Amino acid sequence: MATDEELAARLAQGDDAALRDLLRRYERPLSSFIYRHTGGRDVEDLYQETWWRVVRHAARFDPTRRFSTWLFQIAVNLCRDWHRRAPPEAQEMVDDLTAPDTRQQSEAAADAAALLADLPEAQREVIVLRYYHDFSEEQAADILGCPKGTVKSRLHHALARLAERVREGKR
Amino acid sequence: MSAHADRSCGQTPGKALEAHVAECDPCRDLPPPIERIAMLLNAGVVPIDAGALSRRTLLRLQPELVRLGGTLLWRKAVAALLLALVPLPAVLTYDAYVLRGAYALVSALLPATLAAYLIFSYAAFLVLLFATTYAAIPVLLANPPSARRPALG
Repeated sequence: MATDEELAARLAQGDDAALRDLLRRYERPLSSFIYRHTGGRDVEDLYQETWWRVVRHAARFDPTRRFSTWLFQIAVNLCRDWHRRAPPEAQEMVDDLTAPDTRQQSEAAADAAALLADLPEAQREVIVLRYYHDFSEEQAADILGCPKGTVKSRLHHALARLAERVREGKR
Repeated sequence: MSAHADRSCGQTPGKALEAHVAECDPCRDLPPPIERIAMLLNAGVVPIDAGALSRRTLLRLQPELVRLGGTLLWRKAVAALLLALVPLPAVLTYDAYVLRGAYALVSALLPATLAAYLIFSYAAFLVLLFATTYAAIPVLLANPPSARRPALG
């Protein structure tokens, strides 16, 4: 089976089968990451924009790096830009994004989302990358463009904050 | 499947959080309730139909892929043509030398008009051969023999 980096090289030649494979591999982690970062808003736009940039800049991808790191780096930058545009707070869940068999779990997901939303953006990014996506501290640092020590300290502050919420009995 | 699959289904304990607590002095002194935090973070899946999202993304990106393929093809074609043009002056000089020699030989045996006609025809054939060769470069790049499907049956 081709590696992500090999698929990215084929994508740079305009191979749509390579894009299909990459989409299949990353559709769930990437969409979940964006969902958690933005609280479920504009997920489709950001998801498509991320892949559009991947296709557009595939020729510039350095195959000695990990594709996943590069992909999430693009997504993080787009999500940060999205937060800077200060969208209105009203929650707008798009119906056709919601899988029918998972709707009943949306309340529990909303609780987890509220817990994450309590965290500052920088801490939330670290928790999502380390906890949900299993990136190492080095990889998270690479994606976020900060030193490993910063990832550690953000993780520590995020944990302290979450622990505080749990101890208070707040969610 | 990617190593970074989303683990929001709730079965995985917070290994990343535990690893952090194990090497973080302040966290070791006052351990955070990892189990409870993990339970809360695992509460529920992200309600997104990722497959549908990818299908729509693929549809939206098709024109971009076609454009990317076209651009690359043109770049390759131009590079190949330029490369193929490098030996052309030497080939033309050699051909002119051969044609002059052939004309001298043929005109010694045949009337001058007939010799000129034969050599001119041969020169026209060579020009046609060159033109076909150079025209085949972009065509072969667009449809390389290795990419052609073998005939069925």
